[in-house]
Amino acid sequence: MIETRSAPKNGEGAWLWMIKIFGGVLIVVILIIHLIVNHFIAEGGLLTYADVVRYYSNPIIPIMEISFLILVVSHSLIGLRSIILDLKPARSLLTAVNWIFAVVGVVSIVYGIWLVMSIVSQGSA
Amino acid sequence: MIESQEKSKTSGVAKWFDPRWRHSGTWAFILNRVTALGLTVYLYLHLVILRSLAGGPEAYDGFLATIRSPIFVFGELLVVIGGLIHGLNGLRIALNSFGIAVPYQRQLFYGLMVIAIITSVIFGVRMFTA
Amino acid sequence: MSQEKWKVTYRIFRKKGTESSKFEDFELEVSPDEYVLDGVERVWAFHDRSLTFRHACHHSTCGACGMVVNGFEKLSCITPIREITQNGGVVKVEPMRNFPVISDLVVDMGLFYSRMDMVGQRQVIPLEEEPTQAGIQTGPVERDGGYVRLSDCIECGLCISACPIVATTPAYLGPAVLAGAQQNGLERTPKLLDLVDTEDGVWRCHSAYECTAVCPSNVEPAWRIMDLRKQVVKAKLKGLFGGS
Repeated sequence: MIETRSAPKNGEGAWLWMIKIFGGVLIVVILIIHLIVNHFIAEGGLLTYADVVRYYSNPIIPIMEISFLILVVSHSLIGLRSIILDLKPARSLLTAVNWIFAVVGVVSIVYGIWLVMSIVSQGSA
Repeated sequence: MIESQEKSKTSGVAKWFDPRWRHSGTWAFILNRVTALGLTVYLYLHLVILRSLAGGPEAYDGFLATIRSPIFVFGELLVVIGGLIHGLNGLRIALNSFGIAVPYQRQLFYGLMVIAIITSVIFGVRMFTA
Repeated sequence: MSQEKWKVTYRIFRKKGTESSKFEDFELEVSPDEYVLDGVERVWAFHDRSLTFRHACHHSTCGACGMVVNGFEKLSCITPIREITQNGGVVKVEPMRNFPVISDLVVDMGLFYSRMDMVGQRQVIPLEEEPTQAGIQTGPVERDGGYVRLSDCIECGLCISACPIVATTPAYLGPAVLAGAQQNGLERTPKLLDLVDTEDGVWRCHSAYECTAVCPSNVEPAWRIMDLRKQVVKAKLKGLFGGS
């Protein structure tokens, strides 16, 4: 009997790949906006704490920055996972990686949102 | 099936970044992977460092004084270059993956990298003369 | 064929049994318009009868003579010596990468062939499905649409040798197999969906385009993998909303 790899796991690759690709495109768009707004439009170029607080007082900004955060963290973790797949991890190792990345992702996003909200709350203080 | 004397050699990490005897598509793949790793390191560093924002004005403004030093500015320039290469090449991959411009993928790669280089130079000049 | 004669050194990969591999040099006088395979044959005929290599048709139809020549994947029967070296130069000949070596330049293609079988690779593609100069078509085209070279995959394995992802794992189906699946199409053969829509299937490709660069038969596997992704996405969306 010809040796074949273990039974294919349906659909595991497709959705993650699409999130990575579409996420990537959106990141480019938001990155350009982020750079322009941060460095050209924001007063003083966000070089003091007070400027940052003022910048975040416009509600569009936290929304944009949090979206950016979610997109970039997801994209980087899915991408890192793709790189690890090229190292032929054992199924058990891959499962561990999946869990670790999921936790890192959630923690990073929660942390980032908390950071943003703490600045926003400074503005309304 | 014939009994082979040895298992097929899979070359692992060393071969990922070896551009010899390879065409432009592989160089794009290598650049994308290298910049991906670099940008990931930057991302998590950036998130950690931003914690100083939560420390209030003294922490943040003090931190900003640090990042004016040339080493940091150079590091930031590397991030800009990496971001340009990875982002533009990524757009090319996104287009190709939906069947757009596949016959021109090589020209697209060269063209985008030229844009990346020009933009990097512009940023570099601005960052170091500001 | 010119009368010009070159002196070249054939540096050939040798491996027998469990011995470690080595390179052996053979000095040859060749015409630069002869093909790399001609030199290999001459080495076998007049220098070392123990040299093992595959060859058959000598005109890029059978796919038997794929080798790595001076570092690059080549079909040795159609690679003129002039193209890869100059007078006094070296012709380094190695077996294809990413396949187990059986003996010298012969590699084990068993797993590869069985996968081509699994996707139902057709040896001859109907003219209606061939790419034309008007553009790469996936549906029927006009008969006189100016065909480029027919894209029948000759299963030479050069794309598998060149692919950097195959280099990391033999579990990846690889360009030729995925291209074969695309040529059949998921609409015609829906059972292929489970085979290609996996981690080691169509999503593994990192767009290095080496496969298209080395293919001697105009298959363009890289584009076909991209097209197969579109087919998979369509099939999955239909699965979500088509109520099947």
